[in-house]
Amino acid sequence: MASEALDKPALGQTFIAGLWNENPVLRLVLGMCPTLAVTAAVRPALTMGCSVIFVLVCSNLVVSLMRNLLKPHLRILMFTLTIAAFVTIADLFLKAFLPEMSERLGPYVPLIIVNCIIICRAEACASKNGLAVSLVDAIGMGLGFTMTLCVLASVRELLATGKIFEQQVMPAVFVPWAAMSMPVGAFITLGLMLGLVNTITKKKA
Amino acid sequence: MDTLTILLLAFISIVIINNLVFTKFLGICPYLGVSGRIDMAFGMGLAVTFVVTLSGAMTWMIDHWVLMKAGLEVTRYVCFILVIAGAVQLVEMYLRKFFPSLYESFGIFLPLITTNCAILGLCLFINLWEIDNLLEAAVLSFGAGIGFTMAICIMAGIRENLNLADVPRCLRGAPITLITAGLLALAFMGFAGMIR
Amino acid sequence: MSNIKHFFEQSWLLIVSSFFFGLLIAVANAAWSERIVQNEIDKRNRLMTDLIADANSFDVAAQAVEIPDTKAKVVKTDIYRALDGSGRTVGFAFIAVGSGFQDKIKLVIAVDGKCEKFLGFKVLASNETPGFGDKIKDSYFSSQFRDAPAGKLQLVKTGDDKKIDSEIVAISGATVSSEAVVKIFNTYIDTVREHLQTKGSAGNGK
Repeated sequence: MASEALDKPALGQTFIAGLWNENPVLRLVLGMCPTLAVTAAVRPALTMGCSVIFVLVCSNLVVSLMRNLLKPHLRILMFTLTIAAFVTIADLFLKAFLPEMSERLGPYVPLIIVNCIIICRAEACASKNGLAVSLVDAIGMGLGFTMTLCVLASVRELLATGKIFEQQVMPAVFVPWAAMSMPVGAFITLGLMLGLVNTITKKKA
Repeated sequence: MDTLTILLLAFISIVIINNLVFTKFLGICPYLGVSGRIDMAFGMGLAVTFVVTLSGAMTWMIDHWVLMKAGLEVTRYVCFILVIAGAVQLVEMYLRKFFPSLYESFGIFLPLITTNCAILGLCLFINLWEIDNLLEAAVLSFGAGIGFTMAICIMAGIRENLNLADVPRCLRGAPITLITAGLLALAFMGFAGMIR
Repeated sequence: MSNIKHFFEQSWLLIVSSFFFGLLIAVANAAWSERIVQNEIDKRNRLMTDLIADANSFDVAAQAVEIPDTKAKVVKTDIYRALDGSGRTVGFAFIAVGSGFQDKIKLVIAVDGKCEKFLGFKVLASNETPGFGDKIKDSYFSSQFRDAPAGKLQLVKTGDDKKIDSEIVAISGATVSSEAVVKIFNTYIDTVREHLQTKGSAGNGK
């Protein structure tokens, strides 16, 4: 299914691929570092997801525009340069308009530069396809990433504090599992989530 | 406290207490990817240690002596990533020319290192922790590399044994590795607060 | 000559796009840098206003005061003066940094206008364990600092947390974080008090 979508790029298919079949986190196991680090609560996870969508869309568009001019051995350098420039802009934007989130995410915003998802999409999709496909691919992948992040974050925030979006949802008798917001919780929740997704796909196939 | 103690404490803290893999989630991708065999893990660890020491020291110098002097902090990320890409490229060329056998064994890992978040992450953390001398920055970078090597080798050892274990089908591969990593992170949490 | 030509043939895109991205970043920075600086000032002022009730405006009382750290390093901090509506000094505040359980803890600490009592602290940035270390933000712990004498503080495991004196009762389960906060206070207060009292800034407008 994945190779077909690339051979004969149908826009709808490309979009759906990013959401589920090729979901960057759940299926390709890419971009682990922000996935684990910022999902202690939903709000930072959402912010991170949006920044990644922005950077992914911009870099995919730029790479797609200059795909015919790229020299093979300077390719990776060009990709990183493009991505780093857009990440800097995203970081400045967060600092200016969402200072609290920017502080919370800290160095994980600049770390979007080395998020494998973005460079992988630039290499695998944008440098081979036209503007429209690259754009749709970027949005699909970005949304898939954001969605996964939010699901993971809501599980962790719910269990760690009994709240979602800082709103109390669990009954007062619920004892928060502090461990869920620590590294342990991140690793184990993601591991179980991947296991769950594996089970679902096995049943479908 | 004299300089030596500070450096020693910085080294221990970055290797064990603030281990990049277990507490800062950096370098997880290669950690999951190549921790299947212990010799490959060790090779990757060494390559990362080498590059991170080089780029940690270099980014510190560029940050403090060029960017801060010129008030160009806003281009920090671009400069950092270019320095890292350059360092990887340099190491690759140097090894190919002078140590072909070592280059053969590192071969596949080297280009991967550019996108290893542990390296950029460390450079950013050095900046965030406001490390103000070059020696400490270099020791921290070296320690980060050692910490990464340690984490990835521990993991590889466990995974070699996991092959013999009866893991539920849906958890095989990445999921069980993540869960193992979680338990390791729990163990490493015991070191927190050791240095005050 | 052919070398140079080859070089440009290969890398013109790199050079052109570097200029382009440089320009883009410069524009973004020019548009937002003022806001970023303003945000930081706003946050600091908000925390300081929380601590010093009568404060109306702030100015810088002393810049880059050198504080001898426990690690034989010298850290620098600015001291801010809080003024009330009629221009009287009602307190001072400064930013203090120290290492906590996992990472650095950044506090805003306030003292009264004569530098005799603490007015408490607020956490500017910390990465303490949720549920344990981050209880340093809770009022059980932080209210013990309000009105405590501005001098060396001492951490005790058991005691009366309602009694206001130089003894601070630790949070159970978060001894290291409590210790870290007390240590930050102790590192900074002597130098700050000395600075304020000898330079005559303290107690001026009273």
